[in-house]
Amino acid sequence: MEDYRSVIPTEEGKRHVIAAAWHITKALVASDYVTDDLRKILTDLDSHLSAMPVIIESEGLELSEFERQLKQAEEDIMTWETNQAMIWDSDPMEAPKFVKFIDEILVLIESLRSLLNEYRKAKELLHRADRVLQLAMSWMEGELIHLLIQHKQFFEPKYMSFRCCVADVVYDESFVSVEEEPEEASQRNRSSNGNESERCTVDLVHPHAIPRLKSIANVMFASNYGQEFCQAFINMRKDALDEYLVILRMENFSIEDILKMEWKSLNHEIRKWCCSMKIIIRVYLASEKKLCDQIFGDMGAVNTCCFIETSKASIAYLLNFGEAVVMGTHQPEKLFRLLDMYEVLGDLLMDIDSLYSEDSGSDIRIEFHKLFIQLGDFARATLAEFGNAIASNTATSPFLGGGIHPLTKYVMNYIKTLMEYVVTLNLLLKYQDAEYSNPVLEHENEQGISSSTSCPMALHLLSITSTLEANLENRSKLYKDAALQHVFLMNNFHYIVGKVKDSKLRYFFGDAWIRQHIAKVQQHATSYVRASWSSVLLLLKVDGSLSKSAFKERCRCFNVAFEDVYKNQTGWCIRDQQLREDLQISTSQKVVLAYRNFIGRNSAIDSEKIVKYPVEDLENYLLDLFGGSPRSLHNTRRK
Amino acid sequence: MRATDNQGSFLNRISIRRNQVVSMDNNHEQELEDIELFQKHVGDRFADLLSPAEDTSVDALLSIAWLRKILDVFLCCEAEFKAIMIMGRDPSQISKPPLDRLLHELLDRVVKTLDVCNAVSHGVDAVRHFQKLAEIAVSALEQRPIGDGQVRRAKKALNSLAVAMTLEDKDGAVGKSTERAWSFGRRGGGGGAVNKDRNPGNFRPICWNMAKGWSASKQIQAMSSNLVAPRGGETLAVPIYISSMVMVFVMWALAAAIPCQERTGLGNHFSVPRQLSWAQSMMGLQEKISEEWKKKEKKGSAGLLEEMQKMEKLAQSLTEFADNFQFPAEPERLEEVENQVAELAEICKKMEEGLVPLQQQLREVFHRVVRSRAEILDALEQGGKSSASIM
Repeated sequence: MEDYRSVIPTEEGKRHVIAAAWHITKALVASDYVTDDLRKILTDLDSHLSAMPVIIESEGLELSEFERQLKQAEEDIMTWETNQAMIWDSDPMEAPKFVKFIDEILVLIESLRSLLNEYRKAKELLHRADRVLQLAMSWMEGELIHLLIQHKQFFEPKYMSFRCCVADVVYDESFVSVEEEPEEASQRNRSSNGNESERCTVDLVHPHAIPRLKSIANVMFASNYGQEFCQAFINMRKDALDEYLVILRMENFSIEDILKMEWKSLNHEIRKWCCSMKIIIRVYLASEKKLCDQIFGDMGAVNTCCFIETSKASIAYLLNFGEAVVMGTHQPEKLFRLLDMYEVLGDLLMDIDSLYSEDSGSDIRIEFHKLFIQLGDFARATLAEFGNAIASNTATSPFLGGGIHPLTKYVMNYIKTLMEYVVTLNLLLKYQDAEYSNPVLEHENEQGISSSTSCPMALHLLSITSTLEANLENRSKLYKDAALQHVFLMNNFHYIVGKVKDSKLRYFFGDAWIRQHIAKVQQHATSYVRASWSSVLLLLKVDGSLSKSAFKERCRCFNVAFEDVYKNQTGWCIRDQQLREDLQISTSQKVVLAYRNFIGRNSAIDSEKIVKYPVEDLENYLLDLFGGSPRSLHNTRRK
Repeated sequence: MRATDNQGSFLNRISIRRNQVVSMDNNHEQELEDIELFQKHVGDRFADLLSPAEDTSVDALLSIAWLRKILDVFLCCEAEFKAIMIMGRDPSQISKPPLDRLLHELLDRVVKTLDVCNAVSHGVDAVRHFQKLAEIAVSALEQRPIGDGQVRRAKKALNSLAVAMTLEDKDGAVGKSTERAWSFGRRGGGGGAVNKDRNPGNFRPICWNMAKGWSASKQIQAMSSNLVAPRGGETLAVPIYISSMVMVFVMWALAAAIPCQERTGLGNHFSVPRQLSWAQSMMGLQEKISEEWKKKEKKGSAGLLEEMQKMEKLAQSLTEFADNFQFPAEPERLEEVENQVAELAEICKKMEEGLVPLQQQLREVFHRVVRSRAEILDALEQGGKSSASIM
């Protein structure tokens, strides 16, 4: 009440009255309640009042502080501009100053905005302030890019525990090259799998730079320049990821390239893929996600969006490679690499799911799950193709020397190598018909293996070896000499049993199978002796003593027969020394014994001139059999 | 989606028929009928793409919506083709010459199609990048009151957009240099005031996309080079030809619309047969698109995607406005700009709504084509085996 009465016409008071009248007029003009006529009058009044010196004066008064601030800001930004220094890098004191500077501009802009309807000049000042802000933001964006480039860090893949890159299954012979001597399949280093490649993240941007980046993000988002921030950030991080793929020596191939690629190169590329997948998904992208969290942590959708946009293209490449691989043909030699891919991806699915857990990442998640299933199907089909390839690998001429056929070696080494993938294969074969379920790939353990003669893998291995056995039986029939048939089968079965006995395969085939197959080898050995020597032994079979001429004739026949056998069978091949000796002994036992008896019974005859081969020589000659290089006794003189 | 409606009944018809035991003559006659129907459907669908029926909303040629439609058409034709070629058929019928050769050629095209799909999908990413830049310009110019600050902000985004569009059109693989150029520019660049909007942070062609030396143009050329209309003889050569033609055409249209790696000479790659009735509309479309492509090559614009062309035009006009902007702007000019900004915003919205589904559809095409390839390969292999066992 007192205030009311104290309205006295001072200069100050007058100005207030006029200003108040002007405000009321403006408010009325803007309101819905006035008629058009009245609005016209009020508009007139508005322009009169606003032109009054007191109003202009007060406008000047209220805005002058803002104008002074703005002027200062304009000068500041010019200084920053001309200095061209990286304030965030060079001077730790400058950065907070700059942030403060922008905060002030934002406050200034807000204030000017609220005065827009009051003062004409406010608009002009606002434009100038906006311009300062734009310059500052453009500057910030530059800083952001600079920081992201200068403090970008890559980690050396070789320091990581991904030994899979170097040590792996060396089993690259193609099925067609079966005639060559394949090397023993070396054991792959599985220790690098699973446990060791723990989920670790690294700093893709130096930790020093993180708070600065974060404050740039805050300032730019607060100034409504978030779009620019995201674009620059995504582009820079995308470049970094591209660069990293180059460091990993990943090359970009079209599907057509991959389908036309020679197996040797493809094999190499698949190894790289497996290795890179692990590093990219488990380390790089996990770290990228961490970086996004550090910078966009509280910004929700922006965070996800930036991460996905950054990684999408490279992820698409990795995915595409896998898709191209499963479009290829089911060559058996691909199986191990396919299983590698399958295992790697199976291991990583959970990581992929968590990296792309949001809705916007569902396409990526789904595509990888699809690829996983496809890889499984493809590996299964390739395994089946392996069986077919064995069955259809036929020949028209016999394998020289009756030794171990390359096919046998190939198949046995192949399935021995398969042992490294038992857990995965068991799951694959088990889920053959069942719907896809997400098998968590466990590490194989001895216990799991010992009880495994009835697991899907064991059944499959049995079917593979019986296909192989049938193939070998057929091949053996190509030999005209029955004895050689037996040597051939004995050799090959012996090799098969040996491979089974001396490896993890024994758990899957079981003791009964092994016994049965050892017996088979034995049986062929016996059959060999019978087939090869029974006619010769017949010559030595006499009751009582012979006349000299009959003895002479028998000896001649025996010599011819023996020389014939000798010539043939020195060319035959039993590589396994033990097996060869065993066979020589059992032969000796029959032949030498009979020979000694034969000669002994006829000791009355002066055999010195008649007997071409003394018993000891005969015994020694038998040791020459199965050496793999044919020899002849025709010209040998007695030693 | 009308295309899919008649497709369903078509597939039913075929599968029912195949399940019936019919005499050879009868079978052949019905096969001819099926093929005729297939031709008719292809013709109708392309006619609809050329000049849509009145009751449907009109999607401009080469717009995002139109591309989605053409992908639908592709999927429908593909399904019908498979129905004719392999559904319920004895594989030995198609695994003998000359069909086996024709099918292998088709499969070769299929593989190239997959690469084109991927390239186009990367191109869609590039278009999304354009969209983001345009959105910045829109949000700057939508602010009121409009002043120097907003205009410069918009100008910066529009410049980035222009550069991105030209780079993208040249070759996706030139990317790497920008980063280095940037760090040099920053350090060595002249006085700050001269170089106010310095950073090229947004100038970025997408570089990790296709293999080095891969060319959309060459792929499409290779797809069509051995494509000749069958003359009499083998009935089943006709659907193989039609399907190939559709494949080539759709990939060509996609590559023309969306920025793709290496597209020089895309305009004149293949000829649609004039005399065949089903190909009339396709030919009409080809003429229209080729015409546009010629214009594009003259202007050097980034792609024929309708939204992109509009965006480019608006961006140019807005850049002009920004270049000549002086405070205060004339009210008429401001109003004009306001309309253009609204138009640009509308395009961005269309892109926002359409590009992701387009990309998903491309993936669908990709997967479908992969599956069909496997099925055809299977059939060829089975056929090969059974004929071998007969011999």
